[in-house]
Amino acid sequence: MSERQLTEAFVELADTLVDDFDMMDFLHQVTVRCAQVLDVSAAGVLLTDQRGVLRVVAASTEQTRLLELLQLQTDEGPCPECFHTGRPIAVADLSTTTSRWPRFTAEARRSGFASVHALPMRLRTEVIGALNLFGVEPGALDENTIRLGQALADVATIGLLQARAIRHRETLAEQLQTALNSRIVIEQAKGVVAERRKIDVDQSFILLRSAARTSNRRLSELARAVIDGSAIV
Amino acid sequence: MSSDRVVRVWAEVGRQAEGNPMSVAHVCAAAVVGVGVDGAGVTVMVSPAVRDSVHATDHVAGELEEWQLTFGEGPCVDAFAVGGPVLVVDLGSPDFLARWPAFTPAALNSGVGALFALPVQVGAIRLGVLDLYRVRPGPLSPAELADALAFADAAGTLLFDEAGIRPTTVAVAGQGDDPTAHHAQVYQATGMLLVQLGSSAEAAFARLRAYAYAHDRRLGDVARDVVERRLRLRPDPPGDDDDGR
Repeated sequence: MSERQLTEAFVELADTLVDDFDMMDFLHQVTVRCAQVLDVSAAGVLLTDQRGVLRVVAASTEQTRLLELLQLQTDEGPCPECFHTGRPIAVADLSTTTSRWPRFTAEARRSGFASVHALPMRLRTEVIGALNLFGVEPGALDENTIRLGQALADVATIGLLQARAIRHRETLAEQLQTALNSRIVIEQAKGVVAERRKIDVDQSFILLRSAARTSNRRLSELARAVIDGSAIV
Repeated sequence: MSSDRVVRVWAEVGRQAEGNPMSVAHVCAAAVVGVGVDGAGVTVMVSPAVRDSVHATDHVAGELEEWQLTFGEGPCVDAFAVGGPVLVVDLGSPDFLARWPAFTPAALNSGVGALFALPVQVGAIRLGVLDLYRVRPGPLSPAELADALAFADAAGTLLFDEAGIRPTTVAVAGQGDDPTAHHAQVYQATGMLLVQLGSSAEAAFARLRAYAYAHDRRLGDVARDVVERRLRLRPDPPGDDDDGR
């Protein structure tokens, strides 16, 4: 990773943090930038809902397979451990974690991943989620890269809290719940576009996102409009 | 952890039902006991304009629904619009008077100190809102909030039930914690069915669930078949039983 790339990433993310921005699009950008800057193959953001369950909100590639792998971590995997301990989890080689996380390890390896990291997303003392990084080669990320990853995780947290100032725990709960629901709405809109255009659901995210860009609308708002029929993508 | 909560919540709803078929009224009564609030009400909303108060546990809860219907503003209206919970820890604080100038004085006058509006929904499928109120201001604890959300889920399941789907209680309790219920493909399949059926997201999801129950299959498995184009559903003319019902 070059220093220029890194600077660009932070500037781009900071630029996005204006008053009226789309949280889902922003979190997607964070994961894309993580994959580029940290040189990992895939990245995902998971947030906790009020039931204490981790849910996927964004991924660097919106392939269903990656989303499902991320979501598998409702009960086991590096993200729940990171979330519960509040500490980063590093797995340099996924061939060593079969007994620790049998289902997650099997699925991750089937998806072609060899290493995995999880970094906590913290707001003050509270852990609200985790950033998940996947590599296709075995090996732990070096200390410097981990620090960068943590900085990106912090940017993601700030972005999440940007839409409304967080004063109380209650407002945070509202925010998280809204993010999780936006995620579901995007999945539903992907289905609508896939069916209309006779393409697969993985391609329809790209269409949705570029349509949102072109028409200068928020991704989650456009997704809602696609579902209720007031917009056609 | 979360499955305990789901079981506990349904057990409380079952206790309130006393052997009768469970309804939204029982969810409201159970939420009052389970969350520790003074009253609860459920409003079914098709859109902010089209809505109906389904049940309220007491006079004050009924008035709350009434005020929001009358003024077209309030936490329940916002919760429905935003798709997330709206938690009013202290209705007397000036913020809320500014946010809902007509609703707030009326609700304060009814004796409400704190109000928690929880959307009853599955993704874009919005069914309505569960309103919980307390006379005394103060926040819900994290555990109380988690319980409140679980009661909102229970209300959603029963509203679907009233729409003609009759899952068994055991299946429902399992579904509430079934990880496949949160999988991307369930939502993607809902979107695809919406186009196939020419229906709303609500109806498409109801058909998906109905199909799974009727064929005794997991929701996630049926969704996968839809997404991978092994299963299509046709619009549902009366008497058509392509989904086995």
